Amino acid sequence: MINWPLPRWPGSYPLALITALVGLMPVGVLIGLASEEAQLFDAHNLKVLINTLLLMVFTVLGSVLIGVPLALLTAYVQMPWRKLWLVLLAAPLAIPSYIGAFTLYAAFGRGGEIENLLGLPVPPMDGLVGATVVMTLYSYPFVMLTTRASLLSLDASLVNAARTLGMTLSESIWRVVLPRVATGIAAGGLLVALYTLSDFGTPAIMRLDTFTRVIFVEYNAFGLSQAAMLSLQLMVIVGLVLFLESRVRGNHERPGRHLALWPNRWQKLIIAVAVAPVTILAIVLPLSVFGIWLLREGTGGFQFSHAWNSVHASFLAALVAVVLAIPVAHAAIAGRAGRLMERVTYFGFGVPGIVMGTALVYLGLQLPFLYQTLGLLVLAYVLRFLPLAVGSVRATAEGLDPSLVKAARLLGASPGEAFRRVTLPLTLRGMVAGAALVFLEAMRELPATLMLGPTGFETLATYLWRVYEAGYFGRAAIPGLLLVLMSALGLALMLSGERRAEFDVTENHHS
Amino acid sequence: MQRRVFLQSLLAAGAFGLIPAGRSLATTPPVAADTLSVDQLPPMEGDLTLYLGRGEGGLYENVLEAIRQRNPKLNLQIRRGVTAALANTIVAEAKAGVRRADVFWAVDSGAIGMVADAGLARPLPADLTGQLKAGFQYPQWAPVTGRIRTLPYNTGRLTPEQIPDSVMALADSELSIGWAPAYASFQSFVTAMRLLEGDRVTAEWLRAISKRAKSYAGELGVVMGVERGEVDLGFANHYYTLRLKSGKPDANVDLAFTKNDAGCLVNASGVLALSEGDLPITFIRYLLTREVQSYLASEAYEIPLVNGVKPPVGLPPLNRVSPPRVDLTQLADLRPTLNLMRNAGVL
Repeated sequence: MINWPLPRWPGSYPLALITALVGLMPVGVLIGLASEEAQLFDAHNLKVLINTLLLMVFTVLGSVLIGVPLALLTAYVQMPWRKLWLVLLAAPLAIPSYIGAFTLYAAFGRGGEIENLLGLPVPPMDGLVGATVVMTLYSYPFVMLTTRASLLSLDASLVNAARTLGMTLSESIWRVVLPRVATGIAAGGLLVALYTLSDFGTPAIMRLDTFTRVIFVEYNAFGLSQAAMLSLQLMVIVGLVLFLESRVRGNHERPGRHLALWPNRWQKLIIAVAVAPVTILAIVLPLSVFGIWLLREGTGGFQFSHAWNSVHASFLAALVAVVLAIPVAHAAIAGRAGRLMERVTYFGFGVPGIVMGTALVYLGLQLPFLYQTLGLLVLAYVLRFLPLAVGSVRATAEGLDPSLVKAARLLGASPGEAFRRVTLPLTLRGMVAGAALVFLEAMRELPATLMLGPTGFETLATYLWRVYEAGYFGRAAIPGLLLVLMSALGLALMLSGERRAEFDVTENHHS
Repeated sequence: MQRRVFLQSLLAAGAFGLIPAGRSLATTPPVAADTLSVDQLPPMEGDLTLYLGRGEGGLYENVLEAIRQRNPKLNLQIRRGVTAALANTIVAEAKAGVRRADVFWAVDSGAIGMVADAGLARPLPADLTGQLKAGFQYPQWAPVTGRIRTLPYNTGRLTPEQIPDSVMALADSELSIGWAPAYASFQSFVTAMRLLEGDRVTAEWLRAISKRAKSYAGELGVVMGVERGEVDLGFANHYYTLRLKSGKPDANVDLAFTKNDAGCLVNASGVLALSEGDLPITFIRYLLTREVQSYLASEAYEIPLVNGVKPPVGLPPLNRVSPPRVDLTQLADLRPTLNLMRNAGVL
């Protein structure tokens, strides 16, 4: 095999380096801003920290309590219509949690939709309990899917051996199965933690003072320094979770036969009854509430331009993200320095939208030509969702047989031509998938859009928020349903695309 | 801002319309010569950016839409937000040397005062301020409409005598209460209480009330909740009750007023120009036309502040009302209020 002398500095490096540096910029801005006049820590700050951590811990616990049994159910129990069960139980991922929070808040409590409709007095849904319920309902699928993927990689013969040696089924699941999927559960739990930390809409609607909510309050009072200080504190926690996540590595066993459990008719019924509340609360209730509002108040107030603005900004973000992702992904494959640059761009994914918004509002005030422009909003989207594009592009680029490029070079193509005519066409699929993921995430994004949108630029998400703030709940129906639809498309893409290994919905991936 | 003059004038304005309340429908009200009609205004052309402190739902939108339709060459961009947040944005933008808004229309005069105090408001011409009733003429901003804090109560469950005439005394009553703590006008009311009674007393009051309170998203919701009998009484701006009763004349709700405390705070929405030139001024003139003011009075039940426009039907005699003496500019100081409300667990 001939080793072609590699250039010392691969062509993709300069662009990747610039992208990585821009990705770090928000933190630089925040540090500069926070050092101006912010108070480091006070009593209220402590309460915010405790609320944030409590919400995170309870949500992770709740997600594990719901997600692990559901993973066992969908992996091992031979229910009728298994695919449907799986899709239904993963479906909460398709609903932005702020939509869940909004509808549950409106449904519960005195004078809520449930009481209006059924005359049934139900307790209100707010505070720590409400936020935990909502976050759990919309993030347990992370745990369910990662755990399920681990479960499907196990060999059933160990369980069978345990049963032969006299353990009951539940005992063998507890002592033989679950310990071997601990990393899968942990990986899901950490995703849930990350998701909970950066969520803005749910604590805001449930009126729980977490970091994201208080940052928004400070921003509204234009205490940008204080908002930056709180943002940095939040980033430290996010950083810890990201660090833990990077330490969790799956253990691979020799795959074997899957365990299959055959329930009888009564057991099937009991399972269905036990699972129903989750689906009813997470899926049926929000869609019903929107349905009721739609029937009651029609489509008043909604303008087509809101949907168009969402599509417009998200499309630009997707385009820019993919263009930037190409050099970053190639740098990541080219060498160690490139991998570091790629890691740095991943950082943006951990920056909550509200934090990104704070940093870029300040940046805009310093650079007035950017302030309240679509460009700044698109930049925020790109910085946040670039990793989705990089991941997709890199996954297909890695699958590319390097000898094809070498053959092209051997036949006289310049590096640029080889890239254009060989690499690019072969990685197009990954680019499209990456662009679609960025597009759909940008559509659902709320806090950064609220803070950075140009004047008069109302999107589906920001319109939904205004309607919530003004108390005209009925008008949320159309934008809400459109957002759910968009997110459902995104979920379908995620399940079939880059994160397939993690969120496996097929049966025989590992065998 | 000269608060006493403002308050007295608003009272006078109310009384002016209310003393002949029974007859005013039959007789033509006196039209002052200086109140303009939109027909007398030049058409507007060019770009204008309005920062709109979250309007009263569809009604302000209707006014803006009508202005847009009348002026097809006007490119009106609207940034919507919480009034206090937009006021803060304007000040922060000015500090950074950036100006985006040409006009600021706020639902709360405190926010207006904050921007004016920062020296950002452009002076208004005398013939514009002259259209406003005496005492409402400020060199830098124009009040658009007035509103009063009230206690809407369920007439089936309460008689007026059962309602204490002190908002502080409500904390010791057994009445069930509806409120909308997230709503800007409610927060201005709490700010006023803070200024009048002090932080500690206000915090205790909030805690005591919250034990018997049901939260609504907005104050229209509060009034509807009162009418349905979900609660005995509520806290709301006067116009929500009038609007509800206009659609449902036999509604089980009526207005009560406290005496000389934050419970009957008087506030005004206002508008100011941030950029030079005629366009912002003309825009403000549109808001003060007979048409817009009549619309806001008859449809939104707000108190019109230009000469010669009838106050809303059904506003109770304001000589019964004794609003507190509060410096309205201080109402912009929202942050201590928000902290207080959070610590009391109501927000």
